[in-house]
Amino acid sequence: MSYSLTIPSLETERLILRAPGPQDFAPFAAFYASPRADFVGGPLTAEGAWRMLAMEIGHWTLKGFGRWTVTVKGSDEAVGMIGLFDPEGWPETEIGWDLFGSHEGKGYATEAGAAARNYAYTVLGLSTVISLVKPANTASARVAQRLGAKHDGDFIHERHGQMQIWRHPGPDDLTDGGMEAYA
Amino acid sequence: MTSVLIPTLETDRLTLRAPKLSDFERWAEFFATERARYERGIMARDAAWRVWASDVALWQLRGYGPFGIDDRATGAYLGEVGIYQPDGYPGPELGWFVVPEAEGKGIAAEAARAVMLWARRNFGWDELINIIDPNNDRSIALGLRLGGVIDPDRPGEDPDDVVVVHDLRGLA
Repeated sequence: MSYSLTIPSLETERLILRAPGPQDFAPFAAFYASPRADFVGGPLTAEGAWRMLAMEIGHWTLKGFGRWTVTVKGSDEAVGMIGLFDPEGWPETEIGWDLFGSHEGKGYATEAGAAARNYAYTVLGLSTVISLVKPANTASARVAQRLGAKHDGDFIHERHGQMQIWRHPGPDDLTDGGMEAYA
Repeated sequence: MTSVLIPTLETDRLTLRAPKLSDFERWAEFFATERARYERGIMARDAAWRVWASDVALWQLRGYGPFGIDDRATGAYLGEVGIYQPDGYPGPELGWFVVPEAEGKGIAAEAARAVMLWARRNFGWDELINIIDPNNDRSIALGLRLGGVIDPDRPGEDPDDVVVVHDLRGLA
């Protein structure tokens, strides 16, 4: 007897979303060491980043879904971590997006976020998903807007403080054209 | 696609199997109490989930990790045992905890022996260590009862940790 879990990969026009693994540690730790991680629980030491990456992987084992490592087709290097996130203390399942280093501004978060949302609706059968955005994180709020999400109140987390709830269009709203309908 | 396989081990009284989400209530309860002070420290519930999830991921990252312990007869959750090695540990650590009502029955010892045997058979390791807070008398006593030997020269995680070394070479 044993337990087995398979983490699927997703493909979009420009990206592959694959299971996070130890090979992602260097870019992940660099991101979490930088001020860019201020909005998402950083900055972290290398040891803290190792735990955080492990937590992302364990999330898959415990919940059956999680965030993927995002890579640009043609390279296996991690450019971000995007997917479905619902740890203890979260109000509901969210689509979370972090892009590393110089990979912002290319629409990757929107592209991968749409794929993760489609997975949430079609594979997991969820009827709604949100994204949590720190009020000062305007870049992240713009991604939520591009994905058609609407600001739907706030959530106060014990340690992370105030976060905006951005609610995504539901599966029925996306039937004709997905994110393109909101572009 | 990436897959992980977590085995199930059986002992006389116990089933050791993959951690599952429903274990969390008891896990968080334990790590919210004084009992956890000399284990991993007392943790708030949301922090506890993240620490636990990162432990569970050791299966993907290292090929070993924690097992949930169930009572074979009743299916009741009794605690956790396994091999832990987050970043910063000097080596794979044999670790355990049991829920309060399962203490004093040799549950942790029985589970730990099964994990030592599994580790020897699967990885061919010559030894496993426990890294124990010097104030954690119960765990030190159990480490010694399992045949371990304190090695004062081994580094733990914190400077004053007690490191108990288990020789696995007699196991087959």
